[in-house]
Amino acid sequence: MKKGYLKEGNYFWSGDIAAAEGAIAAGCRFYAGYPITPSSEIAERMALRLPQLGGKFIEMEDEIGSIAAIIGASWTGERAMTATSGPGVSLMNENLGLAVMTEAPIVVVNAMRGAPSTGLPTLIGQGDLMQAHYGSQGSYELVTLYPSTIQETFDLMLHAFNFAEKYRVPVMYLIDGLLAHMYESIYVPPIEEIEKKIVHRKRPKEGQLPYEPDEDLVPPMPLIGEGRNIHATGLTHDERGYPDLTPQAQEKLVRRLNEKILKHERDIWIVEEYMTEDAETIVVSFGGEARAVKAGVDLARKEGIKAGMLRLITIWPFPWEYIKKYTADFVVAELNYGQMYHKVKEYAETPVHKLTKMGGEIHTPQEVLKKLREVSQ
Amino acid sequence: MSIFEDMRNKQEELLRTERLPHVWCPGCGIGIVLNAFLRAVIRRKIDPEKLVVVSGIGCTGRTAGYVNVDSFHTTHGRAIPFATGIKFARPDLNVVVFSGDGDLFAIGGNHFVNAARRNHDLLIIAVNNFTYGMTGGQHGPTTPTGAYTTTTPYGNPDRPFNIPHLAISLGVPFVARWTTYHVNQLQNSIYKALGMKGFRLVEIISQCPTVYGRRNSMKSPLSMMEYFQKNSIIKPNASFEEMELTYNGKIVVGEFRVRTNIPTYEERFDDVIRRAQNEN
Amino acid sequence: MTQKKYERKAVVKILEDRCKGCWYCVNYCPTKVLVISDKMNAKGYHPPEFREDKEHVCIACHLCELYCPDFAIFVEELK
Ligand SMILES: Cc1ncc(C[n+]2csc(CCOP(=O)(O)OP(=O)(O)O)c2C)c(N)n1
Ligand code: SF4
Ligand code: SF4
Ligand code: SF4
Ligand SMILES: [Mg+2]
Repeated sequence: MKKGYLKEGNYFWSGDIAAAEGAIAAGCRFYAGYPITPSSEIAERMALRLPQLGGKFIEMEDEIGSIAAIIGASWTGERAMTATSGPGVSLMNENLGLAVMTEAPIVVVNAMRGAPSTGLPTLIGQGDLMQAHYGSQGSYELVTLYPSTIQETFDLMLHAFNFAEKYRVPVMYLIDGLLAHMYESIYVPPIEEIEKKIVHRKRPKEGQLPYEPDEDLVPPMPLIGEGRNIHATGLTHDERGYPDLTPQAQEKLVRRLNEKILKHERDIWIVEEYMTEDAETIVVSFGGEARAVKAGVDLARKEGIKAGMLRLITIWPFPWEYIKKYTADFVVAELNYGQMYHKVKEYAETPVHKLTKMGGEIHTPQEVLKKLREVSQ
Repeated sequence: MSIFEDMRNKQEELLRTERLPHVWCPGCGIGIVLNAFLRAVIRRKIDPEKLVVVSGIGCTGRTAGYVNVDSFHTTHGRAIPFATGIKFARPDLNVVVFSGDGDLFAIGGNHFVNAARRNHDLLIIAVNNFTYGMTGGQHGPTTPTGAYTTTTPYGNPDRPFNIPHLAISLGVPFVARWTTYHVNQLQNSIYKALGMKGFRLVEIISQCPTVYGRRNSMKSPLSMMEYFQKNSIIKPNASFEEMELTYNGKIVVGEFRVRTNIPTYEERFDDVIRRAQNEN
Repeated sequence: MTQKKYERKAVVKILEDRCKGCWYCVNYCPTKVLVISDKMNAKGYHPPEFREDKEHVCIACHLCELYCPDFAIFVEELK
């Protein structure tokens, strides 16, 4: 057993602790952050745990500095992470775009709380789903994952880091005010088993330019200190990394940044389909809210309503194929005024209904049941 | 080959010469600062593979694009935290932030003060041309009171930062100021700073003839240089008042603070790791 | 005042394409061997010309190199 590593076994953890431990298990050794409810316990856990593993933890002066620092660290080869909540993501968005443009793998956790603005600091919200994708200027794709149990919050971190490294892209890791602070019992497998599944970023071949993509559209990543004289810039650039401020360079680069993700969307999509096979109404949900939805679906089934749940674990790129494949009606349950509702509507050929709450608490199973009764009339 | 010729040749190797001529205007002081910086690096015999240059956004921010080492042109104001991440992850590297006054002290001011306070092992080359050059010469946090810029058409009512004093108040171990006229002193200070550890600041008063000089009766590159030449006073133990810059007034230059052996953040974190590992 | 006689120590090469005609080199050369020329480079700037005569020779002080913001000057010392 290596020093500082967790033993296999059962642990009783909050989502924040699980996210931190999941990241560490997935190879994260660099964390920079600024505290904010309900994500602060991630920083606290990292401060405690990373030094035990020889890793680096730094509390920065703000979220802008935090994300800048992890992008810098990522260029040295670190699997680097920060965690925050909506107000912090708003501050990070400019540099999130820098990570997209310079193709730096990072993981950003957003423990969503009630919003807009300072909103409901300690309570759940799901209003940052669009922000996760469209927060920074420009047209780009990134990966957004959203677990719904504490076990999953731990397990999914491996995917978050792997996607970031494999596709050289920032990954938004959503949790919410409910998951962040809720405690559940979870099982941690032997760390060696997790480590076996770690995907490392590709390294450039001899003579390959820093932004020269392979066939998968992802350029292997050179690292600082290898004598490759890397140049990275947020300006539109050529394959050497040098600024090229022409419409042609913009077309080529921005298309590739989008397509390198969309080309692999099936690899990135993770969903849970619960009793959807014969369902006449499917509730689309995610995160903490999905726990109530599942219970609501169970209640409906007991009444003979053919209900099911499609839980999006990958939020972006949007798993549209899972909407298209069903001929059932959809209910989109979310804690905002209706965000993913619009995405579902874009692909559904059947009626789509809203089940919204502005945040602060999840729906009750009874509220879900009520909606299912209405829709299946 | 003489040492000067050798240095000049090595300087070419440290430049991305395929990208020259650079974007800076005729007589812009940024090139003089870069020239001095590269010479200091060569004299220090720093392994180019171990040198990283990080810039923000601005005319000075373009520096990262011309140095033939690992170099990053980041976002406006964020060069210091970006560099912090690199240095903290790889303490064996020499990490240099090369950026403009607006980038470092206005939009990036919070990062500057906090990184200075933590004493990260970073060398900061701050090119102070009294203005936001890149965006066309607006007033910034270093524009002298009374100066004319595109956003202070009646003269600047604002008051500029006293940058060396700010750094000293934060305990920065190396604080120097020169102008682009002082090509040798500037190079020597950077050379000295490269041999030290901790947060090191070299402020260079530099000319932006195109958008600052033009509006303040120093239209030609040479007239700005003459202003620096005639008005500079070397005074290492200058007071707060003496370090303040006034409109077309005296410029007090020198090495204002040189302290060795102040532990850096990176060193203090090594202790954190030691303690964490011993308790386990 | 008689011009002090210096020994010729170097020749100066100008990379004319890099020059932007700021003339710092011309101004700060202590022996005035760099002069503004009528030549024009591709970008329309007038690069300096290295012009020695009996009174004006290059003393290889390298100041012109230090002042050049455009990395356009090489001072080649005579062996
Ligand atoms: C977030 C953001 N705000 C504003 C700008 C526009 N901008 C670019 S450079 C700059 C000022 C640069 O001034 P300084 O750092 O002094 O550099 P200089 O050009 O004078 O060398 C500004 C305001 C930007 N790029 N990003
Ligand atoms: S605008 Fe000013 S600072 Fe920018 S390159 Fe021109 S002279 Fe230099
Ligand atoms: S080396 Fe000195 S003397 Fe020779 S041209 Fe340059 S500045 Fe003049
Ligand atoms: S200093 Fe350099 S750029 Fe300026 S005139 Fe001389 S050679 Fe040209
Ligand atoms: Mg400036």
